[in-house]
Amino acid sequence: MTEPRAIRIVLVDDHHMFRTGVRAELTSSASAAAYGSHRDGTSTRSTPRPPAPALEIVGEAGAVESATAVITETRPDVVLLDVHIPGGNGRGGADVIRACATVKTGSGAPVRFLALSVSDAAEDVIAVIRAGARGYVTKTINAAELLTAITRVADGDAVFSPRLAGFVLDAFGAAAGEVAEIDEELDRLSAREREVMRLIARGYQYKEVAKELFISIKTVETHVSSVLRKLQLSSRHELTAWAMGRRLL
Amino acid sequence: MRVDPDQTLSEPPKALAGLARGLEVSEYEGVQTTPDPGARTSSPAVTPAVGAAAGSAPAAAGTTRPPLVRHVEGHVIGGVAAGLASHLGVPVAFVRIGFLVTAIPFGAGFAVYAFLWATMPRGVAEPVAANQMGAAPEPSAGSSRAQARFDLRTVKVWLRSGNEPVLLTLFGVIALIVAGALWLGTAGIGIRPEVVLPIVAIVIGTIFFWSQLDDADPIGARRPVRWIWLVVGLGLTSLGLVGLLVGSTDLSQLWRVGGAVLAALVGVAVLAAPWILRLWTNLRAEQAARIRATERADIAAHLHDSVLQTLALIQRRSDDPAMVARLARAQERQLRTYLYDEDARAGTLGAALTVALGEVEDLHGVPVQLVVTGDRPIDEHLDALVKAIREAAWNAVRHADPPITVYVEVGPTTVEAFVRDHGAGFDLDDIPGDRAGVRESIIGRMERHGGTARIRKRSDGTEIQLRQPVMAPAGPDDSGPGRDPTSTGEADPQHDPGSRSLPDPAPSKPKESEEAQS
Repeated sequence: MTEPRAIRIVLVDDHHMFRTGVRAELTSSASAAAYGSHRDGTSTRSTPRPPAPALEIVGEAGAVESATAVITETRPDVVLLDVHIPGGNGRGGADVIRACATVKTGSGAPVRFLALSVSDAAEDVIAVIRAGARGYVTKTINAAELLTAITRVADGDAVFSPRLAGFVLDAFGAAAGEVAEIDEELDRLSAREREVMRLIARGYQYKEVAKELFISIKTVETHVSSVLRKLQLSSRHELTAWAMGRRLL
Repeated sequence: MRVDPDQTLSEPPKALAGLARGLEVSEYEGVQTTPDPGARTSSPAVTPAVGAAAGSAPAAAGTTRPPLVRHVEGHVIGGVAAGLASHLGVPVAFVRIGFLVTAIPFGAGFAVYAFLWATMPRGVAEPVAANQMGAAPEPSAGSSRAQARFDLRTVKVWLRSGNEPVLLTLFGVIALIVAGALWLGTAGIGIRPEVVLPIVAIVIGTIFFWSQLDDADPIGARRPVRWIWLVVGLGLTSLGLVGLLVGSTDLSQLWRVGGAVLAALVGVAVLAAPWILRLWTNLRAEQAARIRATERADIAAHLHDSVLQTLALIQRRSDDPAMVARLARAQERQLRTYLYDEDARAGTLGAALTVALGEVEDLHGVPVQLVVTGDRPIDEHLDALVKAIREAAWNAVRHADPPITVYVEVGPTTVEAFVRDHGAGFDLDDIPGDRAGVRESIIGRMERHGGTARIRKRSDGTEIQLRQPVMAPAGPDDSGPGRDPTSTGEADPQHDPGSRSLPDPAPSKPKESEEAQS
């Protein structure tokens, strides 16, 4: 999806104030980014791209049912999804993702979800990731980083915060030195994936990870997506408990 | 030490007076096991009398008296005698003998026991009590030492053995009662064994039965019930009842009587069942509501103490954005600790880092993101690592730009830490030699503890990499005696104080580093 068209966004959050804030932030930082004035931006691309994607916020919702309706109707590229919203089966954001699993955008790509929450609790993160979210960022993220994350998710890549990366390292026993022998193994990380996760946990941007490991950004994105897939498909249903059990050496 | 029956017989009433007084105190305290001054001051008035009567407990009078509670462990029936003994400072065997002896003629011992059982709260034997019972005998009085040794043995016997002593004791009780009845019979007081024996059986059966229901504190709580006890208790009780009812009538009528009793029981059960069921559900509902109310009150109290206070502060300081941000961040961290129960991992590296970096945030109002993978109990080397990380983060918040990320990875043989910022970076050689911040507090500290520190200057910031080798997790680590590395993830109240003091959040630390830097 490299055609320069606006990324269509739906905001789902039960706090009206927060929606207003994000809307203002995104529209202003998107126009600022259009002049290339911030550090992270979209310059992390290896191939030259239009410096900033235009953002278009096409809908807002504050509960599971209304969110499902809005998403089905507007078919956005990215949904910014709060983890804790009322309605549905009581599982908040995860319910929305499940309800909208089959919705496709105009160009045929699935609607992508980026979870946005104040909660750092592993249970919340894992619930939405396993439901199908492409990434997880906390609400304290700054506007430029949020923009980067949205762009990345719109392209079908995964977005990991340092804390999510740390959780992944715990859950897959990578901190204790467990490494998958074949890449396809779902319960462990490959050596390269582990390296990428460690650098993300250290606060590196994707381009910095690429530079550090002498690989392309595209490869970094591939590794991150592969980790996301493992996180979603791993047969460990109790990932959180599993991670906690492996935490203490 | 001899026991004079007369003296022992005279003991219960006085002891009871003392107990009643002790009871008042301990009921006001709830089940708190800490003896308070009130309990101490009220008891000496009683102690001399009891001490004289029992001819013991010289050590107990002056020292702290354990609260009057029924002992959960080491109990035979209800733990009354054990609790009483440790409260009065007399050997538990004497108390038991006292109860038995007084129970023979008119059942006074039984009544006292039942009264105490019903009124004494449950509790755990105090360490003080353990000391008095002989773990560390008082060197002053020879009598107390002899008593301690004697007591130690009996206590051990009671503690270590299972049901056998209980059964033995009960048989002893039966034998004593039978003997007492026979003695009374020969003394001319008419005791009819066909009445006494069933009653004894009923009493013992009831004791068996009740002792199983006794310590289920919240009704309906799941706990292992020793079914054999219930069966024995039920059997004895029904035998006694049947015996009492049948009495002297001849045996052929037993079936009819038994059938009638059974029919009556079934009838009562059928009639009462819905009522009991409703009572039960009501009780459960009420319990749940009470728990919810308590939780709600707890949360309300916490929110009031923290969030509301901070919000008030923020409103007052709304003209100072830096202060507002700092307050909000501090409050957020505190709330997270509360919500996600991070106290549960007290004593670990992760907890120490959370505390240390929280202080750094508070002091400068710049957020520091902390990610820890793996965890392990803290020891002195890891404590040094925490201090070095703190110093590095402290430098970052002052001299560099956010975002500042701290990543700590606990591996099987090393702990690695990365403190990354986005500042202009610095060159170690440019720092004057008299400024000890980086050179001493980070590099020097790491080297003294066998670790390494490396400073990486990147195009858009600095990354300080720290490495601290640690011992393999399987082996005993040097975090302190008795610390089991596999179990320390859970909150371990016994170890908490010690391990908490190790990390030493050190309020003087920023001062130290400031002095070092300036």
